[in-house]
Parts: sequence; C-alpha cells; structure tokens
Amino acid sequence: MLRKLVAAVSIAVLSAFAAGSAFAAPGGLGPPGPDTPSGEAISRLYWIVLGLCAVVFVLVETALILFIVRFRRRHDTPESAEGPQIHGNTRLEIIWTAIPAIILAALAIFTFTQIPAVQARGVEDEAHLTVRVEAHQFYWEYRYPGGETTVNTLYLPVDEPVELELTGMDVIHSWWVPALTGKMDAIPGRINSLRFVPETTGDFEGKCAELCGVQHAFMPTTVSVLSRDDFESTLAAQQETLALGKATWEGACATCHGLDGQGDVGPSIAGNGTLTNPEALQELLLTGQDTPQFDYYMPPVGRGWPQKQFDALSAYIKSNETLSTAPATTTTGGGG
Amino acid sequence: MSTRSEALAPTWKEGSVTSWLTTADHKRIGILYIVTSFIFFGAAGVMAMLMRIQLSHANSGFLTKGAYNEVVTMHGTAMVFLFVVPVLAGFGNYLVPLMIGARDMAFPRLNAASYWLFLLGGLVLLSSFLADQGGAQCGWTSYTPCSSEQFSPGHGQDLWILGIHLTGVASILGAINFIVTIHNMRAPGMTWMRIPLFTWAIEAYSVLLVLVLPTIAAAATLLLLDRQAGTTFFAPEDGGPILWQHMFWFFGHPEVYIMVLPAMGIISEVLPVFSRKPIFGYKAVAFSTIGIAFASMLVWAHHMFTIGMPTYLQAFFAATSLAVAVPTSVKIFNWLATLWRGHLIFRAPLMFALGFLGLFTIGGLTGIMLAVFPFDYQAQDSYFVVAHMHYVLFGGTVFGVFAGVYYWFPKITGRMYDERLAQIHFWLLFVGFNLAFLPQHLLGLMGMQRRIYTYTQGGIFEWYNVISSIGALLMGVAMLVFLWNAVASWRSGRRVGPDPWGADTLEWYASSPPAPNNFDSVPYVTSARPLRDLRLRLQERET
Repeated sequence: MLRKLVAAVSIAVLSAFAAGSAFAAPGGLGPPGPDTPSGEAISRLYWIVLGLCAVVFVLVETALILFIVRFRRRHDTPESAEGPQIHGNTRLEIIWTAIPAIILAALAIFTFTQIPAVQARGVEDEAHLTVRVEAHQFYWEYRYPGGETTVNTLYLPVDEPVELELTGMDVIHSWWVPALTGKMDAIPGRINSLRFVPETTGDFEGKCAELCGVQHAFMPTTVSVLSRDDFESTLAAQQETLALGKATWEGACATCHGLDGQGDVGPSIAGNGTLTNPEALQELLLTGQDTPQFDYYMPPVGRGWPQKQFDALSAYIKSNETLSTAPATTTTGGGG
Repeated sequence: MSTRSEALAPTWKEGSVTSWLTTADHKRIGILYIVTSFIFFGAAGVMAMLMRIQLSHANSGFLTKGAYNEVVTMHGTAMVFLFVVPVLAGFGNYLVPLMIGARDMAFPRLNAASYWLFLLGGLVLLSSFLADQGGAQCGWTSYTPCSSEQFSPGHGQDLWILGIHLTGVASILGAINFIVTIHNMRAPGMTWMRIPLFTWAIEAYSVLLVLVLPTIAAAATLLLLDRQAGTTFFAPEDGGPILWQHMFWFFGHPEVYIMVLPAMGIISEVLPVFSRKPIFGYKAVAFSTIGIAFASMLVWAHHMFTIGMPTYLQAFFAATSLAVAVPTSVKIFNWLATLWRGHLIFRAPLMFALGFLGLFTIGGLTGIMLAVFPFDYQAQDSYFVVAHMHYVLFGGTVFGVFAGVYYWFPKITGRMYDERLAQIHFWLLFVGFNLAFLPQHLLGLMGMQRRIYTYTQGGIFEWYNVISSIGALLMGVAMLVFLWNAVASWRSGRRVGPDPWGADTLEWYASSPPAPNNFDSVPYVTSARPLRDLRLRLQERET
C-alpha cells in the first residue's frame, strides 16, 4: 500500500508541475528573458547548476524510494529482528566525501569563469550611458547625463551599454528587472553599479525586491528600450514641465495618496493647503512628517530633487482641478 | 515514586501548579519548553495562514498593507526565536541528561531561569503587535534604516529588540548549561565516541549559540541606542546599513545550522532504531556535525550577494557556501547507507525521518544553486529563496522535530500515541508542504519578490499562489490532527514500558516517564549503543 501511495503521490505532484511549467514557459522553469548578454550568462549558469542538482536529486531520491520499498520489514520478520550490523565502510565514505567535493570545486571554478559576462565587464571602458538611480519610498528617480529626470520609467537606447549608479534616498531598495539582468540593491550612503547592454527594444517590467515599507509591493518600474532617435525625443518630451510634474505626482505622491489625492495608505490630500502652497509643499517633501493621528508617516519623498522638479509638481497640481480644489465632503481622516 | 529530594522540599511546592512554576527538574523544564514553543508555533502558523489567505488571489484586500508587513515580520521572528530554537532546547533539556546517564543538568536553577526568560521574551516579542504605531514591520532581518526611528516610528521595533534580547539571553544561558553538562556529567565509560549523535548535535548547537548570539545582541543594542539615545552606529553616511547586515548575518547564518543540526541529530537517532541497524559511520556523522558547524561561520555574506560587494569577496563566500554541501552530503549518504539492508519499521518517527531525508535534500540542492552567486542576483529576495529556506527549515527541521516528538512521546508521557492519526498527520503534512512550497520556486523564477502583500498578475502566476495556499491549508489541518493526537494520547493512550522501540540509548533505560532522579544506577557504557549491549547481555544470560 505504501509503495502505491508513494508512487501515486510522486507521479501526481511531478505531472502537475510539469504541466504547470509547460504552461508557464518561459517564466516557470528558468529566469525570464533574457534580453541582455548578462542575463543570458545568468540563465546559462542557472540551467547548468539546475541540471547538476537534478542529477543529484534523482540519484538520492531514487535511492531513498528504492530502499524504502526494498528494505521494508517483511511480515514474517519480527519487529525485534536486527538487520546486518554494518558500522561503516571507510573506503566508501571517503569516496562519497571526495566526489561531491570535486564536483562542487568544478562548479565553483565554472561559476568564476562566467563573472565577466554576468557583470558586463569592459563596459566601463567603452563609451556608455551612465544613469543615476535614486530609490525612494516608493518610486524610482532616474537622472541622465544631460540633467534630464524621469520617474519610474527608465528610457534606454537599444544596443548601447548602460551603467546604472544606484543609491537609496531613505531605506534600502533593490532594483530588479528580471528579463534584463539580476537585481542590485540601492542602499543609502552608497553607490552600487550595475552594467548591461539592452539588445531588444520594448518595455521591461521591474520592481523593488527589498522590503522597504508599507507600499513595497507597489514600487514598479519600467525599462523602455528605444531606438536612439526615439530615446532622445521621448526623454526631451518628458522634461516638459507638466509632463515631469504629472510623472512626479503619479510616481511619488499617488502611490500613497491616490491618483486624485483621495487617500489610500496616506490621508486624503486633494485641495489641502500645503499641497497648493509651493514653499510649504517643498518643505514637507524634503523633511517628511510623522503625524500620530495617521497610520503611517510621510517619508521625505523629495530628497535630492532638482528645483525644476518641485516647480513642475506644483505646476501640475495647479493645472489639475481635482487636486487644487478641495472636494466638499472630504475630511482629512487617515486612509487605509 | 517519592525520593529524598522531594521529601526535603517545602509542602507548598507540592501543588500541581506551583510545582511546575518552581521546578528545576530538567525533564519538567524540557516539557515546559516543548509545550510553550508549540504554542508559539501555533501562533506563528496562524500568521502564515493569514499571509497565504491574503496571497491566495490577486489584488486581495484581506489584510491591510501595514498589517501584512507586521505579520511577515512576526511570523519569521517567532518561528526562529520562539519555536525552532526553543523546541530544540526543550528536546535537549529533556534528553541530554538522560542520554548521557546524568541525573540533571549541571545548573538546574540556571536552566529554570533560561526557560522563564524565554517565555518572557516571547510575550514581549508578541506584544509588539500592540504598540501604538503597529508592530515591527521590517522583516525578521530588520534591516536598517527601515528599522530606524525615522522609518519605523513607535515602539513596535523597540519591543522586537527587547524580545530578541530576552530570548537570546535565555538561549546563551541554556547553551552554557548544555556544554558544561555534556563535558562533565557523562556516565562512566561514555567517551566522546560513545555519546549519542543527538547529544553531539546539541553540543554543536550550544557552541554555535555561544559564539554567535552575542553578535545579534550587540547589533540589537546598537539599534536600540540609535533609536532611543540618538547615536549613529547605523547611520547611512558611515556605511551603517551594511554594518547591520554583516552583524545580523554573522549571527543569522549559523542560526540556520543551530536550527538544523539538532534535527539532524534526531534523524541520526531515529533511523538506526527503526532500521534495526547501527548508524552507518558514527564518526563520519559526528565529525560532519562539527564540520558543518565550523563552516557555517564562514558563509554569512552569501545573504548579501546583491549589496554590491567586491567580486573577490563574493567568490570567497560562494566557495565556502559550496563547501558546506560536502559534510552535508556525507550525512545524507550515511543516512541512506543506514537504511540499506535494514528491516524498516514504518512507524511515525521513521516516516517523518524519511520525509526529512527527501525534503531536506531538495532544500540543500537549491542552496547549492543559490551559492552560485550570479544566479542569486536573480533569485535573491524572491520566492525562490522563500521556498529554499522552507525546504530546509520546515521540510528539514520541523519534520525532524515531529520525528522526535513521536519517537520520544512514550518516554515523556509514559503512553503511546495513536499510530493511525500520526500516519494521517504525516501524509497531510507531506502533501500539504510540497503543494505549498514547490510552486514557490517557480513563482520566484517568474519574478515574485518576497514580502509583498499582494500582486496583480493573473493566469499561471495566480494559480501557483492558489496551489500554495491550498497546501498551507492542508498543513493547518495536519497540525490539528497532531494536536488532537498529542492531547488525547497524553490523557489516555496505551501505557508503555521503559523501552517500547527496542532502542539503543540510555534514556530508554529509565522508566517511562522517568523518575525524578532519572536513574538509580547506570550501566557502565561500553559502546555508542549501551542499551542494545544490555539487551544482548540479558539474552546471553537467559540462554
């Protein structure tokens, strides 16, 4: 009975996952993408180590199941009957210590050979685009060499090496766009570098991978890979005052206060006096605030903004009637 | 059953409640530890259920966002500090003196102090939920600056720190007690190569606790000072966030082995008894315990591959992490060889031990994958890691703990558990566990990051989450079956003699449950299986 149960359960579980994985391709079985050489190197390494582990897995689990079936106590054997009293076998034990050691050493060496590809070594010597990534609760600011700023969407020219310089403006975040390459932490007080070469145009979805606070689950980013011409024109269009203001509102403010300022984890702020007073707003955005009657503190979301971004936000708020006039029924109660 | 020590005790100590409150008997303290930690296990398990309900479908609104982060934090912290470490301390307390033929721990009153500090620490930790601005919300790792005064206002984080301190002090005192006991109080003839493998594991567990717990205590103290006294130990401009991670993981990684080694010790006790064979390669198993403990102190930064560490350091920590797999695979192979040509008796302890073997292997293999650090850049902080660590800590440690609970249940209670319920418990838990955690590997590879309170994707992504939640539900049902079995059998199970399993070690020489003084005398120990030697001698005399 036991044998049948074990067989049935293992077959059911394995086939369920085989079916599920086939459905999920390419997402289910390996890292998504890859759309960069770095991502490709990671995926290659993944498939090799997965294959190695699969072999060990099959060997160990087969031995286990075989022993369970083969060496179960027979009905004619009393429970007190002893098996052969084998205390060990030094030669065998040396062999099964040495073999894993050799395999693991080989795996380590192979891993080291893949590092230059994974880290896109050499990119730092070529002409490349450097973008500064400033991670905030709960959005991403991208700063380009020409002084341009975008919020939550990173625009990149296709086939050109890029180096991201990541830092955290409040707590630790982690920049992760699985289809492009592995993640890199954005840590306050520190600048981390991440290099890759995007080779396909299109939008790639990313997220924050390090628990960073109440809206950690909603800190998405998009990497938009464009042709060189599209890259330049789109980036320029994003610098137009109302466009930058709108992106800032949607990225930095709306995550907690709602798209119309109606309140979510943060209080309702539509028409609030501070919102429509540029100086007071700038002060609040730079220092943050912890008000006991609300569930959550206001983080200093405006840290590191250039003046033009504060101005753009205020201009956008002024241009948006829902935000700049108080709804009649709204009270400033805690949202949530 | 009265003994001289009881006769000398004041009469008010004889009440059934006060006698438990004032006890310094290692067996009673062991029972207190085990029962208390299982209650905390239930609490942390309910938190896990809440999370799986929340994640069972996309855009769920079951838990509020802040509440989810509190539950995620407290589930991890409670499982580590209030369940796994203390339940193993409970087994150690109950069993180590019996296994080595001693009458009690070296310092019985210190032992009682450890338990009461642990209980207090647990209550303080859980009281974090009641703090004015919510409980601690930065995960069991409580990375700074998330856990700093500015980003975690209120006293939830402070209570978390205090709870860590109290349970930490309890563990250090307990560990010192174990070390002194094992080194000094072994029965005549019990040399180091004759002590039971579970006792070897408790020795390694204790040494690791003494070495690494002070680091987390120091880190938590500095964090408390930063929060309450305005110091700047973890200030970002001075590299504070990285300092915290080093201090945390210098403790945190050995902590994993603190949680795994004693469970491995339980497996090394159970497999031989239910295969009717000696352990294959006693020395290899004992020395691999020491090897794992030593190597575990050299691997901590593999939790930090994505902080932007220099490549040579990443390579070093990858190499040491891969090296841990060597003594671990030695153990796996020796256990398999122990089964070879045995007469396997499929009672619950063996079922759970075999479950441990099968599941821990998976957790170990995904550990090798994660040590290959470029892959870790993708897997770090994703559900792949969540799945990996649950295969190690639940598929490994918790299955080992259940093997131990069923194995020693007749010793501790003097009664046999219900085998049929125990088998139901095993199969529900085994199936539920795999349903819950196998799909999480795939979710991680699809890009699901840890500690998110919801997701927006539908399709197969949501289906994997549905399966995972159903698995969690089955695990919950399994726990109820276990609870019913434990309570009912403790009250009215069939009574058993000193040695219902035909086991090998000295705890089975004492009556079930053992007398307050454990043994009147202990046979001279001539091998690692003193009880079997005794059985053989008796048989010889009869024939």
